[in-house]
Amino acid sequence: MGVPAYPRVKKAPLKRKTGDRLFSLALLVPTVCMTVVFILIPVIDSVYKSFLDFKVKNIISGQPGVWNNFDNYIKLFQNNKLLPSIITTFSFVIVVVLLQFVLGMVLALILNSNIRFARVFRSIMMIPWVVPTVISALIWMWMFQPQYGLVKYLADIFTLGRVTSLGVLNNPSTALMGISIAALWKQIPLSTLLLLAGLQNVPDDMLEAATVDGANARIKFFKIVLPYMSSVIKITVSMAIIENFKQFPLVWTMTGGGPDNATTTLAVLSYREAFVSNNLGSGAAVTTVWMLLMIVVIFVYNRLMRTESMD
Amino acid sequence: MKTQKLVGGIAKYVVLALILLFLLFPIYWVLVTSFKTNMEAYRFPPTFLPEKPTIDAYISLFTKHNNFFVYYKNNFIVAGITALITTFLAILSGYALSRFHFAWNKWIIAALLSSQMFPVVSRMISLYDLLGRFKLINTHAGLIMALIAAMLPFTSMLMASFFDNVPKAIEEAALIDGAGRTQTLLQIVVPLVKPGMLAVGIYAFLMTWDDYLHAVTLIQNDALRTLSAGISMRYLGELSYDWSLINTISIVGMLPMVAVFFFFQKYMIKGLVAGAVKG
Repeated sequence: MGVPAYPRVKKAPLKRKTGDRLFSLALLVPTVCMTVVFILIPVIDSVYKSFLDFKVKNIISGQPGVWNNFDNYIKLFQNNKLLPSIITTFSFVIVVVLLQFVLGMVLALILNSNIRFARVFRSIMMIPWVVPTVISALIWMWMFQPQYGLVKYLADIFTLGRVTSLGVLNNPSTALMGISIAALWKQIPLSTLLLLAGLQNVPDDMLEAATVDGANARIKFFKIVLPYMSSVIKITVSMAIIENFKQFPLVWTMTGGGPDNATTTLAVLSYREAFVSNNLGSGAAVTTVWMLLMIVVIFVYNRLMRTESMD
Repeated sequence: MKTQKLVGGIAKYVVLALILLFLLFPIYWVLVTSFKTNMEAYRFPPTFLPEKPTIDAYISLFTKHNNFFVYYKNNFIVAGITALITTFLAILSGYALSRFHFAWNKWIIAALLSSQMFPVVSRMISLYDLLGRFKLINTHAGLIMALIAAMLPFTSMLMASFFDNVPKAIEEAALIDGAGRTQTLLQIVVPLVKPGMLAVGIYAFLMTWDDYLHAVTLIQNDALRTLSAGISMRYLGELSYDWSLINTISIVGMLPMVAVFFFFQKYMIKGLVAGAVKG
């Protein structure tokens, strides 16, 4: 008796799915590992550390942190550090995101109307976006320089010499505005570019039909252009919210959080607690509050945008 | 009606000019100042063109402030390696996310999207400790790994959107011809997404060139510092600033990025739009 002859099965078709699965997994492993090891684990670890008495000296001596009954959070509230910096962060984010959207939209609309050299303008207006953030900060510090700065000179001209000294960044009531201007300068280009791409997706025949029906520019903008762009707008604004919520180097370089803590955002506060005061646990408490706020803001924002696009 | 249109047309150009002035004049201002003598830079009212153009500030940057070029070189090394590895890994993960739709994709995309939201400081608090344990603090290797991880979420999604545009029939044909999966990906599909690779690579290079927080927390050794961290640690004193030096540093520091952008702007613009509008 011979060995029963098994029908020769072609390997490929049967194993295709399994092969795809293994191949896909192999391709994803490096990215997933990097993300887990260098982003997700550190973030979870920092939330955990926010409940510990954990300072730089713990790292040096190899002593683990000790649970301290929410002391990091309590101290931040008691020293009245957390609330002002939350307010500062929100004022900064709201002002910059709104102005960035409005100015970006205006610039995109102008560049999209058939003006001459639109392509040239589109590429040169991107320059601020590629300037490194720390250098953007330096550029605007020079513009705002209290004695020789250009902004002081302009103020001098427009007020007919009544302004003798103008330290935008040295004055607690104007410092945040100064940083916001620098942030707008750096971020308007990208918003404009994305909104411009959105504008180019608005179908021309719709606009023409509306013109024939006698719709004016305002109606066309609100009833046709904006609805067609809703997904691009949503993404552009949410990118702006995240970017400004996270902004650190600009503020740190321009004012270091001063004067008189007027520009201490959550980013500055967390960095200062963790790496200047060397109290990593306290810094982690700030970033934990910061992350929670960011999640709430993005959640609310998505909700708002969803109901709006339903109309 | 006609005059109204004319006024509208003029208003459009005025607004355009004002916004462009806001965006571009500061650069001009820094450039002009970098060619002034220190005496002229500190004059009030300021001059809008240098009276006696000089390259003294550049010469002094090259001769007296060599540290700057150590930071500069380090920045090229770190940003270059990060961009190369990021692009390679993003090709792999972007292809997997675009082509194979398994149950885990949903979770991976959710992880990648949320990763972009976390504050960098929160990661640094933990990495400062974790990397220290593996002797990776104060090394370019540690810094590069942390930066690659920071770049991967956005670049993977961006790369996936480029793979979405490659017709699947091309791979099917290659597979029928007996090519393996890896071979198909590397020899047939990857050449088709070269613009995407460029967009991803340049984006990663640009963002890494801009990094400040990773470098300032993970590197304490001056000889290993990168540009932004080096500039702020060495040249920004609490009380006095040497403004002509700082303006020169600003120009030299932004130059590579402006050059890269203008050279590759076609890919950059396409890539950014594709990544943001689709992702």
